[in-house]
Amino acid sequence: MPTAVGVTWRLIDDVGCGPADHMQRDLAMLDDVLAGAPPALRVYTWSVPTLSLGKFQSIDEIDNDACERLGVALARRPTGGAALLHGGDLTYSVAMPLPEDGHTGVQEIYDWLARALIAGLARLGVDSAVARHDGPGGPVCFAGQQGADLRVGDRKVCGSAQVRRQGAVLQHGSILLRRLAIDECDLVMTPYDKQALRAATITLDELGAPCEASVVADAIVTGFMTALGVAFTPTTLVAAKDSRDALM
Amino acid sequence: MEFPEQLKYTKEHEWVAIDGARARVGITDYAQDALGDIVFVQLPKVGAAVAANATCAEVESTKSVSDIYAPVSGTIAAVNETLNDTPEIVNRDPYGAGWIFDVDLTDAAEVDGLLDASAYRALVESD
Repeated sequence: MPTAVGVTWRLIDDVGCGPADHMQRDLAMLDDVLAGAPPALRVYTWSVPTLSLGKFQSIDEIDNDACERLGVALARRPTGGAALLHGGDLTYSVAMPLPEDGHTGVQEIYDWLARALIAGLARLGVDSAVARHDGPGGPVCFAGQQGADLRVGDRKVCGSAQVRRQGAVLQHGSILLRRLAIDECDLVMTPYDKQALRAATITLDELGAPCEASVVADAIVTGFMTALGVAFTPTTLVAAKDSRDALM
Repeated sequence: MEFPEQLKYTKEHEWVAIDGARARVGITDYAQDALGDIVFVQLPKVGAAVAANATCAEVESTKSVSDIYAPVSGTIAAVNETLNDTPEIVNRDPYGAGWIFDVDLTDAAEVDGLLDASAYRALVESD
């Protein structure tokens, strides 16, 4: 298995692509890395508002009727964490071997990749930092902060999650570009205060930063190059393979 | 970091306690520390056949999901049901109350392929 440092990564630009088999495509990236392919960064958007659930999150926490009524699709992530509404975000995913230098802890990988994300956001004039660690939260990803996430001030701008297999890791995360007319509060069974969720989060649009998905994607890619020294070869992902996971 | 002498280990950071034809399995102190706060353990089913090195359980921590591999081949004889309600025990007591499952061995010779404490310590310290 190749190392993540000092090799050319694959860059898969799926911004504007859809409808989404995004979770299968992310898992296919991880499978490719496990099979010996170089690390990969993929950036993408969602053509249909989609609520993604953490791998072990109970479906009972989700208001299926509301999702149907509001035209929100459901997807099951292979990673941990809680429910996250996609559609107003840019999603990134990274598949890579765990480093050979021993810095393989969950938080260590979050911190390493955060350097690239923070550098990318800085190119847009956004001053972000690794979020505080509040421990496990409730059923809404963006209602809580952990060390996996990025904040601007005290408000969460990016939520991330990982899955690890046999010495490789897939990490993906959602960068808030702009608000949708609905949010997670409309889609989960637990009553949530919409104003509190809004106050706990911030979008690039609200920060006055560029929030066009392709512009943000370019900045994030550049962040990987400048902060982590990654070089990229643009490529396309072959049609997502059948994953070992049974996804929703 | 603890490496109990009486246990066997795998490169995937599981520990194995052999008791006759049965093996008790958990994750090591190093693994629980690297994973962070454990919030969920997906246990295998009692009676399921498992093959050495195949995935048989999963652990979720800090928004990360990690596979747990069967160190040896056999049949799942018992699982630690207390982890359903208190998965954080794996962090607090990885070699004791945080055990994950028991396997009835089908090939005792596989135990010879596991690492002893000194070899596992060397593996961890070489990282």
